[in-house]
Amino acid sequence: MGQTILLVDDALYMRTVLKKILAAQGFDILEAANGAEAVASCLENNPDLVLMDITMPEMDGIAATKAICEAAPDAKIVICSALGQQQMVVEATTAGASDYITKPFQPDEVLAAVQRNLAA
Amino acid sequence: MRAEFFEPFVEGSFRVLREVLSAEPERGPLSLRSGKTFTTQELTTLIGVNGDVEGVVLFAMSFNSALKIASQMMGDVVTEFDEMAASAINELGNMITGNATTALEQNGFECDITPPSLIQGIGNQITTTTPALLVPVSTRYGDIEMNLALAESAKSRARAA
Repeated sequence: MGQTILLVDDALYMRTVLKKILAAQGFDILEAANGAEAVASCLENNPDLVLMDITMPEMDGIAATKAICEAAPDAKIVICSALGQQQMVVEATTAGASDYITKPFQPDEVLAAVQRNLAA
Repeated sequence: MRAEFFEPFVEGSFRVLREVLSAEPERGPLSLRSGKTFTTQELTTLIGVNGDVEGVVLFAMSFNSALKIASQMMGDVVTEFDEMAASAINELGNMITGNATTALEQNGFECDITPPSLIQGIGNQITTTTPALLVPVSTRYGDIEMNLALAESAKSRARAA
């Protein structure tokens, strides 16, 4: 069975692009459209890695990262956001994220971040 | 509007458009809208900015431009403006605004942004808190009119005083 990645982004377009990149590498993909859905999916499915947007309705990616890491301290969460502010990176890593990539990204950047964090 | 507020948006839009469309954008002449009313085009993505700089950013374009831009973003021919195409156009605005606010932080202004909203239909009037600076950007896939209705927040001004 392949490793499972949970894609969390309110943009259907972005989830579709990421799914195409990662499914082609053999990963099983789960999707969530906001932070609350991501927390529920993590508790239910225990994915190997989470790719998490920040700016989302209902619950943002920072709050979701914090909630997931409190429930599952070993969770591997890579932030994938259009926001690259230093302050945001600090908040994300404090919440428990292990890596941070900014949009727009090249497919290679995503794959490198996924492989780096799965190997850690 | 202060140059240090709009320059990050021009640079951010160029950076994002180059990357996602693989096309060289061009900027048209800047103009300041008179009054605080913005009238929508066929498609308008609205993103709120809050923090040291406050207001809204509106990305307006025609359906024709949106279909061509969405096609290029998705690597597939898009003939219908469906949920996926709408999501791609909103995400383009999100990436430009996200990149711009990252640059604003480097200039000393910390900001956050809201998820994008898409308004469809010509002639809807949106009242902004400050007159918008109109920044026309063209690409070979279509034209985007970036409207920046942004001002430094009272909190930021008080801190600087």
